[in-house]
Amino acid sequence: MSNECDDNKAAGCDEALENLYLYLDAELDSVTSERIRSHLDDCTGCVHSFEFEKRLKAVVRERLDEDVPDAFVARLRDALAREVAGKTK
Amino acid sequence: MADQADFERDALQYNRQLYSAAMRMTRNPADAEDLVQETYLKAYRAYHTFTEGTNLKAWLYRILTNTYINKYRKDSRRPNEVDLGTVEDLYLYRRIGSEASAEAARTTEERVLDGLVESDIKEAVEDLPETFRMPVLLADLEGFSYKEIAKILDIPIGTVMSRLHRGRKAMQKRLWEFAKDRGLLPEEAEKP
Repeated sequence: MSNECDDNKAAGCDEALENLYLYLDAELDSVTSERIRSHLDDCTGCVHSFEFEKRLKAVVRERLDEDVPDAFVARLRDALAREVAGKTK
Repeated sequence: MADQADFERDALQYNRQLYSAAMRMTRNPADAEDLVQETYLKAYRAYHTFTEGTNLKAWLYRILTNTYINKYRKDSRRPNEVDLGTVEDLYLYRRIGSEASAEAARTTEERVLDGLVESDIKEAVEDLPETFRMPVLLADLEGFSYKEIAKILDIPIGTVMSRLHRGRKAMQKRLWEFAKDRGLLPEEAEKP
């Protein structure tokens, strides 16, 4: 299995993989985050999996983005303007 | 307290994000437009209750989500669980990695990330049961923190984490199927 980590780094790998999404989502405390960062400097297997998930996250974000129809934005402004006018009368 | 006169200037800048999220919730442009418009009107009327200096975008998302749940959620019979069976963590990555060599795996990773088109990603998200779709959208489309998501959806942070975890897994499983259908994988990796 080419995407698996070396056995001798298993402890660090376990912690890193367990916290992968917390790390990528920037939800870890700075100490844990730093420990994982230094494990990644050292472990090719983990670095690859982190890179892949990070890129996948970016791909998902980018490809979910929608163009808002201009006509809709105009309608939205109108609706708000009507609401504002109704309030001040 | 926020001044209603500033509403348009402050809030309208988020229309693109709100519309993208609304599209994934309602699955069609007409309902997405209605949902966003209703969200803005409600937000305007309630703007005096918004505490200035707090997160306006999160506040708008909370209104969007509640409006969607109250009004547009039509089919409550849709399953609210995802059957993950034996789906492992990092599903997509590990499936790709079960190939012969590291080099071959890297090539396939590139092909999959480049080759999954917009409609694949959108469908994978839309297919998620709502319970899972919302946290995934808020985290992966909008980049909200877990704490913000917990507040927007009014659920405990631990629930956010477990739903996000399961939702992303289910999404990866779906993406794997799309990658397979599009012929992005070498034949030996296609085994289930």
